[in-house]
Amino acid sequence: MSITVLNAGLQSSLQGAPFTGHRHLGMPAAGAADCLSLALANFLVGKSYGEIAIEITLTGALFRMNEPGSIAVVGAAEHVRINGQDRPRHQTLKVMTGDQIDIGPSRPGCRTYLATAAKIHADHLLGGQSTCLAAALGGFHGRALRNDDVIAFTPDSPVTELQRTTPEDLRPHFSDNHVLRITPGPEADTRNENVLDDLCLAPYAVGARASRMGLALEGGALSACDSSNMPSAAVFPGTIQLPPSGQPYLLGPDAQTTGGYPRIAQIIRADRHLIGQLGSGSRIQFVQTTTERATEIYREKLSLLSSWLGQIKLW
Amino acid sequence: MAVPRPTIHICDDWISINLPDMDRVLAARNILSADVRWTEIVPGIDSIAIQFDPALVSPADAASMASDQISDLTQMAGMSPSTKVIPVCYDAALAPDSEYAAKKLGITTETLSSWHAAQIQRVAMLGFMPGFAYLESMEGCSDIGRLANPRQSVAPGSIGIIGRQSCIYSFDSPGGWPIIGRTPLRLFDPAKDQPALLSAGDTVRFEAISKDAFDHWPQETEQ
Repeated sequence: MSITVLNAGLQSSLQGAPFTGHRHLGMPAAGAADCLSLALANFLVGKSYGEIAIEITLTGALFRMNEPGSIAVVGAAEHVRINGQDRPRHQTLKVMTGDQIDIGPSRPGCRTYLATAAKIHADHLLGGQSTCLAAALGGFHGRALRNDDVIAFTPDSPVTELQRTTPEDLRPHFSDNHVLRITPGPEADTRNENVLDDLCLAPYAVGARASRMGLALEGGALSACDSSNMPSAAVFPGTIQLPPSGQPYLLGPDAQTTGGYPRIAQIIRADRHLIGQLGSGSRIQFVQTTTERATEIYREKLSLLSSWLGQIKLW
Repeated sequence: MAVPRPTIHICDDWISINLPDMDRVLAARNILSADVRWTEIVPGIDSIAIQFDPALVSPADAASMASDQISDLTQMAGMSPSTKVIPVCYDAALAPDSEYAAKKLGITTETLSSWHAAQIQRVAMLGFMPGFAYLESMEGCSDIGRLANPRQSVAPGSIGIIGRQSCIYSFDSPGGWPIIGRTPLRLFDPAKDQPALLSAGDTVRFEAISKDAFDHWPQETEQ
């Protein structure tokens, strides 16, 4: 009743829905960096959108099933192979005991989700099970997966005869060029009225510092002002901060809950799942929108997705 | 007493409200906590942020609901916070920067512990890591400043101080605040109903303990 990690790759971890309602305690959101790919993978094996799956980063990973069952793979991986045979993404796949599941490198994009019909055993805390890497809590003993780890399935795991394929028009298109929509952050215009125009002027590239915590962006330097006296205030995944260097910093799902740099912009919730597909070298064109339009876009996106996935939330 | 009108900033799934002081931030937190539509309520030093589900609440409605809810913060300003006693070992082995901090404060290293233990501090907010507490001293204090080279690893329970502001580290993490002691208490225990030992608004008093007491401090069993 388990799956063995033969090669964990750059970073693989157990991720599902984020932690909610605990940011005032300093608890980061954690959870799947690309919640849309997670939801699509979970649905193919008969699970709810936020259940725990294996999140795989950039280099790919290799697993061995220790029992028969169903799996599904959705995300940036260029291939999925079972015992060396190419298999489709976006489809329920039957696997047998001893089958090796090879998740290829991300090309383009960054993260891939391996969902299993069997329920993955993960540590429970604060109403969630995702891995909070910074505090070593949740998931698989609070840490990223390592080679030879054995991830247990819970004994009550249902057997599914489901066979699903994601409709073509709902499959995310992966690219290294992204358009992310933003609304102004609380400090967008306190000292530099043109900061958002400048941010949206030309694409930014994701620099070498890129993790689930955040992404350092490289591009046209923004005129930063002295923020040394800014009182710390709440930040969220998708908040764009402007440190004194003038190079913006985009916060990811594992970002800390408060920060002391000006919050110049916020990626709208409808686009936030794309943060999980950003890696070093990805290019981002920011486009400004309004909060009213952002709400419409979010509701339209949920409505489109729920025609296939049923009830769903994005975060 | 006239309360300045709060400035609200609206994003698509959270809003931030600037407030004049910590008392009102905490009062706002207490009022807003009663509304389950707020999925996160995060106090800052002089602001509070509220997150909501934009599928259920529009940003404009959220802003008007929140500002109605906190239209009168004066009633709540005098609420009584809880007082927590934090045992701290100031032994040099656990306080690598006590000499540096004492020098900046103009006192001897030997008196640093009694100077610190005599202070009443208040928890301004939690952040950085789960249970990590930012504290403010009730009295004035000269500036100590951060370390020129942040440490890669600071032990949980470490007390960092940069002047009037100090902090307690909750997990092993990088950090640049000079460390003057360490508490054996666990700042964050997700198995508890109240996972964080401290909460914004708490009053904190420090009590010096010996290295021996620190080493033999009864640890609650891990779950």
